[in-house]
Amino acid sequence: MILIILLLGLGVGVLVGLLGIGGGVALVPAMVYLLHMDQHMAQGTSLFILLPPIGLGALREYWKQGQVDWHAGIMCAIGMLVGAYGGSLVALPMNSQNLKGLFGSFLMVAALLLWRKSRLEGNARAKEQETARG
Amino acid sequence: MVEGIGRAGGILAVATVCGVASGMFGIGGGVLLVPLLGLLFAFSQHRAQGTSLIALIPPTGILALLVYAKEGFVSWKTGLLLIPGVFLGGILGGMLAERIKPRAMREVFAGILFALGAWQAFSAWWH
Repeated sequence: MILIILLLGLGVGVLVGLLGIGGGVALVPAMVYLLHMDQHMAQGTSLFILLPPIGLGALREYWKQGQVDWHAGIMCAIGMLVGAYGGSLVALPMNSQNLKGLFGSFLMVAALLLWRKSRLEGNARAKEQETARG
Repeated sequence: MVEGIGRAGGILAVATVCGVASGMFGIGGGVLLVPLLGLLFAFSQHRAQGTSLIALIPPTGILALLVYAKEGFVSWKTGLLLIPGVFLGGILGGMLAERIKPRAMREVFAGILFALGAWQAFSAWWH
């Protein structure tokens, strides 16, 4: 069991470094299905794992390339601190079944947003290359 | 694009929405923040990811964690066992990212995420 948990962490970590996203979004369903945790328990545990700055190593790479917007980052941190508190107050009184369904719906919306962003980025790059070629 | 205070206020509002999702679903929020920074504020993918990472350095989920912990919904032991793996895996993933086309990876990831979400919603509501 302990080995499974250690390997699960490693797998999720690869995803995090690869995409700059992931973490909880992959951890929560993994803990529900592989470790048979209740939805609330998986979410609480995920929040605990995300507490230390696990993205610090990755951030350094982005920082070197000047790909960090400080001001926007601080704004985001403040908004998320307050928002997360509000969100947890909404989630706890819900029953586990509904919360699980809602989490699934959220994953679908996030997937669509990611896919759309990826497409737009690709189109912009293709256009740039066309203009460069003349 | 709105400049100055308007833009900062907009980002703050969007981040608060991401935070609500973070507290409700026990996630970091980056998965929502990265595409929204790009779609609404014209951040490039790299800049959106870098900015999301810096926003996640302070423990933004701490208030939410305390609420979950008070209700006994935290498995501390499992969490402690997962942290080293996630950290080491992150370094591994960062090295892999240099060899693989990130855009294709993102689309594959979005596909997996969608399937996972559909499965969870289905198993919760129509079983």
